[in-house]
Amino acid sequence: MKFTDYIQKIDRRYIFIVLAIAVIVPLLFPLGLPTFTTPPVRNLYKHIDEAAGEDDKAVFMDFAQSPSTLPELYPMDLAVLRHCFLRDIKVFTISYYPQGAAIMQMALSEVKEAFPDVRPDYDYCNFGYRSWALRVPITLGIGDNIAEAVETNSAGRRLENLPIMGKIKNYDNIQVCIEISGASPGYLYINYARARYGVDVAIGVTAVSAADNYPYLQTGQLIGLLGGLKGAAEYEELVETFAVNGIPYSEKKAQNLSWRQQQFELSEVPYKFKRARIGMDAQAVAHVLIILFIIIGNVGYFIEKRQEKKKFIK
Amino acid sequence: MKRTIPLLIVIILGMMFVMHTFVPHKVSQDFYDWFQKWIKVITSFAIVLGVGSLLMVHYSKIKRKAPAWGYSWVTIAALVGTSAVGFIWGIDEGTPYMWIFENVNAPLGATMFSLLAFYMASAAYKAFRARSMEATLLLIAAIIVMLGRVSIGNAITHWIPDITQWILNVPNLAAKRAIKLGVGLGMTATSLKIILGIERTYLGGGK
Amino acid sequence: MMETIGIWLAAFLTLSMFSFLYKDNPFYKFAEHLFIGASLGYGIPYTFFNVFIPYAYNPLFLKHEYILIIPFLIGIGYWFRFSNNLSWLSRYPIAFGLGIVGMGVPMSIHAQILVQMRTMMLPLTNINLILIFIGTVSILLYFFFSKAHKGVYGKFTSIGIWFMMIGFGASFGYTVMARLSLLIGRLQFLLSDWLGLIN
Repeated sequence: MKFTDYIQKIDRRYIFIVLAIAVIVPLLFPLGLPTFTTPPVRNLYKHIDEAAGEDDKAVFMDFAQSPSTLPELYPMDLAVLRHCFLRDIKVFTISYYPQGAAIMQMALSEVKEAFPDVRPDYDYCNFGYRSWALRVPITLGIGDNIAEAVETNSAGRRLENLPIMGKIKNYDNIQVCIEISGASPGYLYINYARARYGVDVAIGVTAVSAADNYPYLQTGQLIGLLGGLKGAAEYEELVETFAVNGIPYSEKKAQNLSWRQQQFELSEVPYKFKRARIGMDAQAVAHVLIILFIIIGNVGYFIEKRQEKKKFIK
Repeated sequence: MKRTIPLLIVIILGMMFVMHTFVPHKVSQDFYDWFQKWIKVITSFAIVLGVGSLLMVHYSKIKRKAPAWGYSWVTIAALVGTSAVGFIWGIDEGTPYMWIFENVNAPLGATMFSLLAFYMASAAYKAFRARSMEATLLLIAAIIVMLGRVSIGNAITHWIPDITQWILNVPNLAAKRAIKLGVGLGMTATSLKIILGIERTYLGGGK
Repeated sequence: MMETIGIWLAAFLTLSMFSFLYKDNPFYKFAEHLFIGASLGYGIPYTFFNVFIPYAYNPLFLKHEYILIIPFLIGIGYWFRFSNNLSWLSRYPIAFGLGIVGMGVPMSIHAQILVQMRTMMLPLTNINLILIFIGTVSILLYFFFSKAHKGVYGKFTSIGIWFMMIGFGASFGYTVMARLSLLIGRLQFLLSDWLGLIN
């Protein structure tokens, strides 16, 4: 068998093994590649950070997720919640998916473990699960009154009786609505909350749909976007750099994080808060491998094509 | 009674909601509050559709003894078992119900879709060919984006992430905007067809 | 104890799923069917406790808001979807659910069409804005089939294809990233939570 035939007809299971190795090795032996940040992630971080310590501002998080998107979106959930808890920013959480509600609960519990002083219904409020069909009524209803639209928290307590609601009434008090979503990210908030009440909207999405949402960034309908594991890693890095170390956010410093690479050891960071960054080493190696696959496949294709052409001329 | 009244409900509610958007009158607001209250009650029964549909499919497979029909029992047992656990022990944190979610639902769901990574690698090797100018453009853009989103791209040259950002912000944005405009117009047209009673497939078959 | 059992169970199910990469087999089939049943089964108690109880049961039976008996009966109509004779009753709740489409018309025209068009028509002050304008218009014209794609018009619409291919390339690059991230997530679980090889 000729070499070109061989590379064209190789059993796909060998390709699977090579890919698995390419992912496993950097997970076991991290390369420590530095994380760089992009404007859509920085914008979101900055926007959320501006609500630090404000009693009458809250971040509204919608968990439109299912287990199939956990590896990409869960690190985002943790990073955004960690940022809010570190910077004393109030958070509301809701999900219109039963499984999203479970993920929301998992994320809140996991982040809260690191913040014993953060109290439910004072510093954050979990609205729990609501039926899919209520997405539009609730999203619009929040524009008038959150307590009337959502009614109760996940434990069934009336919202108007909760301390967190003291100075918070409607979208005027929402710093940003973030939908971390594996489905149709942000459309609910762009179409209804943004269009009608002018609230700022951001999304965290699986990488599959990241490129589709750039038109909304240019129009300002989205103020920020976290795209896939990379977006989560960037947010983790910004939280680590600024919020954890108590350094005020600076766009200039955030654009190039090389000044701080020596400041902390990633090994000291709890695993749950560096999950995305650890994954990015494997991501980088796997991307290079896929590119090599494309190149090798195409080289084989062009050699074959040339040989066929020569045969035809003869 | 069977078709006309549901059709009228959609038409009247649809028109009312269009008006509600533009008329901030008390009547309009009252209508909206009434609808909110009613729809919350109605939708609490909607899950029956999903459960019923799944049970019908698997019941029919078992009855016909279709290929691999034995596995349909696994699906039915999982459906009944998971929900029974939720009803008996509750659905709060720390219950067996959440344990099932964390150790059965979450790994199965995440792994199911991670299989695609392998098939994508195989396709990258065997199928993605620069057969034409258009295919070449697609491949080059894809390679730049793949490199530009990871640190290796940045380590080679900072131009790669910069070009990636430009691709996303300019040609990609133009393409996605045009597609979105088309989709937006299509969605609006479909919505109008529903409100005006032209589109009736949601009524299903039969009289 | 339960945590350890849970991790081993999750690892077993993960490996059962991965076994499909070698070939279809009973372990994969079992895991696949378990996934479907458990996913839907998971939603039933959630909907019951979080939707049915607070929105239907409590107002009607505890607060005695008897007017809600009407939407209650309409909702029960869903149950008849699978009946041969009474399936028409399910059209009522579906009709109520669809009514809100009316709200979507003005909102989506605004958010998806008008805002996008307005931004496209801003003064073309730099090369990028000009490229975005040309790209969007050429793609829209490419999908306009009432005029033959010939001559200058045809050449202009072919520019649209190039823009689309670059856009699809970007999406493809991101899709590769997404799928690999999922794989990385699962392998992180196996290596870290199960085998304890990652600190």
